[in-house]
Amino acid sequence: MSFLHTAWTRTRPNLLLVLPILLLAGALVAGGLTWRAQTTNREIAALEANQDRPVTTAAASQLILARVLQLARRDATEEMEPLVVALESRDVPLLLARARYALGNARLRRALDLIERSQLDPAGPLIVLARQEYRRALQARPEFWDAKFNLDVAARLIRDFPEVDRQIGDELKAEPKKIWTDIPGQPRGAP
Amino acid sequence: MRLFALPLLALVLLAAGPAAAQLHGVEVRVPRTFGYFLGDLVEATIVIEAEPGFVLQASSLPQPGPVTYWLDLRRVEARQEGTRHILRLTYQTFYAAIDARSLDVPGFPLVLSSGTDHGATTAPVAVPSWSLGLSPLREVQPARRADPAEYLRPDGLGPRLDPVPARNAALALGAAALLALVSLARDRAWWPFRPRPARAFADAARRLAALGRGPESEQGYREGLLALHRGLDAKAGYRLLADDLDAFLARHPAYRPQRDGLARFFAASRLAFFGGSVAEARHRLPLAEAGATARALAVAERAA
Repeated sequence: MSFLHTAWTRTRPNLLLVLPILLLAGALVAGGLTWRAQTTNREIAALEANQDRPVTTAAASQLILARVLQLARRDATEEMEPLVVALESRDVPLLLARARYALGNARLRRALDLIERSQLDPAGPLIVLARQEYRRALQARPEFWDAKFNLDVAARLIRDFPEVDRQIGDELKAEPKKIWTDIPGQPRGAP
Repeated sequence: MRLFALPLLALVLLAAGPAAAQLHGVEVRVPRTFGYFLGDLVEATIVIEAEPGFVLQASSLPQPGPVTYWLDLRRVEARQEGTRHILRLTYQTFYAAIDARSLDVPGFPLVLSSGTDHGATTAPVAVPSWSLGLSPLREVQPARRADPAEYLRPDGLGPRLDPVPARNAALALGAAALLALVSLARDRAWWPFRPRPARAFADAARRLAALGRGPESEQGYREGLLALHRGLDAKAGYRLLADDLDAFLARHPAYRPQRDGLARFFAASRLAFFGGSVAEARHRLPLAEAGATARALAVAERAA
């Protein structure tokens, strides 16, 4: 016990010297984090007010999402894609779902615009891409009701083709009779 | 959850053959088989009753990924309870239904195996397909809108960062740092804890250090000696003279290592104040040495 007591009395003065330094350093770090969060929030507010501010892929996830949503309002899908990919590599499923949903919306709006102008051919691929984005958004966040709704809208524009899908994979069943029906050179009884 | 699970397709008896004897039944349990929207998760539990000694071959388990064009398999968990093999499958449906309809979730094969001395026995298991009732999310013909984009739900807003936890941490750490600083000031007898008899040597050491920085003079030397005297007096509680030193050290063993320094200090003090020879005293015990003794005493005082 007396050994412990001497050890304590020896270390106490040093401990008392180190403790305020460590605590102060911790307070400064936490203060820096607060300041950074508030700066990021101001940036997000500026983006929501539709001020054009570029955001790098190294920025905070919330800031990237705010930029994606701003670009979605202008339907600038090409600029959105690298930012969405940057979110994908981080563990932020809710933000990623919102970003993919916004990308899907932007594509679908462009497709609807093309359909309005009766340009059906370029609209098709856009709808398919939008549906993929909605599907990925739902994979990241299954209870995302807005994504379900818009996926339903996109899915009714172009339905899936089960026949096409069924032939993908290793369970392709050969139908021998069908294969031989179209062989050229077979006499068809032409005069 | 399992209590409420309703047995949907019970007991698929296998055809005759060796496998039939090893397998007692396959059952697919689903909480409900109807009322799913696109994007919903569907949990299915598959219960296989088999002979003792059989285990599910891990390589025969279905792999997460797309099952059909409208259905994904997201998660597969297998566990064993005695002779029961339980498979928990999490599907996600993406079927955009226009009317309520039932679709078949395809079955899949599994392999049970049992290793014996004579070699491994395997038994195939056919998990049956089951039907899933899917419901539409919207009316078949929504009301006409001028702009087709109005059919869509809006993009919405993203969340902001929450600075409150970091701010609270900064405030708490700052308060703790202030508290620690106060206790440090108290321990070192810094302002505002200066006039304390418990830190009398700290006071003396500070005074000596201040005098040591100033120009050397007889007056300053005397003052320095007096400062250490006052520190010793305050610590002892009475005027401490050279003869009382041993009794003092007996009562305060923490300062015993400084015995020699203190004895020299008293000798120099006697020479300076009563011998009338400050220069001689200063030669024997320079002010810096007295300061060092006072500092050592102050350190011992803090540790005591």
